[in-house]
Amino acid sequence: MKMDFGYMIKILPGFISVLPLTLVVILCSGLFGFLLSVLVTGIRIKRVKIFSPLMELYISFTRSTPILLQMLLVYYGLPVVLSLIGININNWSGTLFAIATLVLHNGAFLSEILRPAYLAVDEGQKEAADSLGFTSFQKLTRIVFPQVLPVALPGLGNALIYLIQDTSILFIIGVVDIMGTANNLISNDFGSRQIDVFLTVALIYWAISYMADKFIKYFERKTARYHLENGLTR
Amino acid sequence: MLALKNIHKSFNDHEILKGIDLKINKGDVVTIIGPSGTGKTTLLRCVNYLEKPDEGEIAFSDFQLNYQSVKRKDILRLRRRTAMVFQQYNLFKNKTAIENVMEAQIVVQKKSKKAAYEKSLEELNRVGLADKLDAYPSQLSGGQQQRVSIARALAMEPEIILFDEPTSALDPELVGEVLNVIDQIARSGVTILLVTHEMSFAQNISTKIVFMDQGKIVEEGPPSQIFNHSREKRTKEFLSHFNSNYTKITTAK
Repeated sequence: MKMDFGYMIKILPGFISVLPLTLVVILCSGLFGFLLSVLVTGIRIKRVKIFSPLMELYISFTRSTPILLQMLLVYYGLPVVLSLIGININNWSGTLFAIATLVLHNGAFLSEILRPAYLAVDEGQKEAADSLGFTSFQKLTRIVFPQVLPVALPGLGNALIYLIQDTSILFIIGVVDIMGTANNLISNDFGSRQIDVFLTVALIYWAISYMADKFIKYFERKTARYHLENGLTR
Repeated sequence: MLALKNIHKSFNDHEILKGIDLKINKGDVVTIIGPSGTGKTTLLRCVNYLEKPDEGEIAFSDFQLNYQSVKRKDILRLRRRTAMVFQQYNLFKNKTAIENVMEAQIVVQKKSKKAAYEKSLEELNRVGLADKLDAYPSQLSGGQQQRVSIARALAMEPEIILFDEPTSALDPELVGEVLNVIDQIARSGVTILLVTHEMSFAQNISTKIVFMDQGKIVEEGPPSQIFNHSREKRTKEFLSHFNSNYTKITTAK
């Protein structure tokens, strides 16, 4: 068994052509997952009746089951559940189910990053804003969020990296993204060049994750001045 | 100018305030004294609606609020006429001294940045911190932080400033600088409602002393009356702890 760099370069364009699909999945899941997690965090912090315990249940389930299983449950279960209320999603593509899974998954995980970050802003500052006549919205946007962000960023960065890795299971439900392409290549070759193919895929994931990491680090530097409250310097 | 009527407040069936009536005139410096756990701070927080009283009314000369039927708009209106100085300063930690003073002027009063900056400069000057404009709270001593928070309250030009034990979290060396600032503000005609354990300070700057015990006002009057000729036995008993010097407790063998 020897590595064939020529072959690796030859198969690269095939991967590049499906890269946009993977990036769209990451972007949509990350964005909508984050928005969902903000909603979930809000419900839990405000202790909204009925909804708050439901969110606890949802988070507990999501954190305690493998993501592969969650994807299969969404893929086979969601059409059944939605058909009960008259919504037909049988014509959805695998990609949409994949995004739905990742959004639900991240909605739970990210809220476990946001909630402690929110609680890290001491109650006194929120009271001070109240006492000065801020509306709840002004208090959140001007005082709380700017301080939540630097605390939550490292956690959110890790979650983004995990999200990127999690897209590698989408081929199970027939999405032809990077991993899907790899599987097709391997079955075409009857498995004779597995190592070359998987190594190429690994390098691509590495490159995406590396860039995502740089992106997050850039934001961390941007918000570093807020760390002054902890006595750290710029 | 400000009148509290029949304020009641309970926490979990434990009644903290048992019907408080209090009148404050413009320019008054009213100091609430009394033992810990008696509801002084709770009363102050009720004025600002940081605590919601179960019953009672607050009335300004042109604006009345019944605590049993409050709208969000009324709460904001109330808070924009009052300002609070907290025991733990509660500065915004991600903002510099001058940004702390500017923030509410810009967000709440919709002032221009320039106008807010000039007003903040003036108020920070007044509390003696003109050289610390760009310092973050973490870079300031407790006394300096408290003075910034006083400037933040002053900048809103409230009708009354509520001070909640403003020196209780400070070490003895820093208490003086904060008391000096409050003294100077009191003499400039700002209406003040103050909770403190600094008895000689209270005696010095107040126009009226209110002695509270067990959720009720026991006695109120000018400092000379309360400190020297109090009518109530409980007041005398409480103040006797401050008049005597420290004596070491020894157990005879």
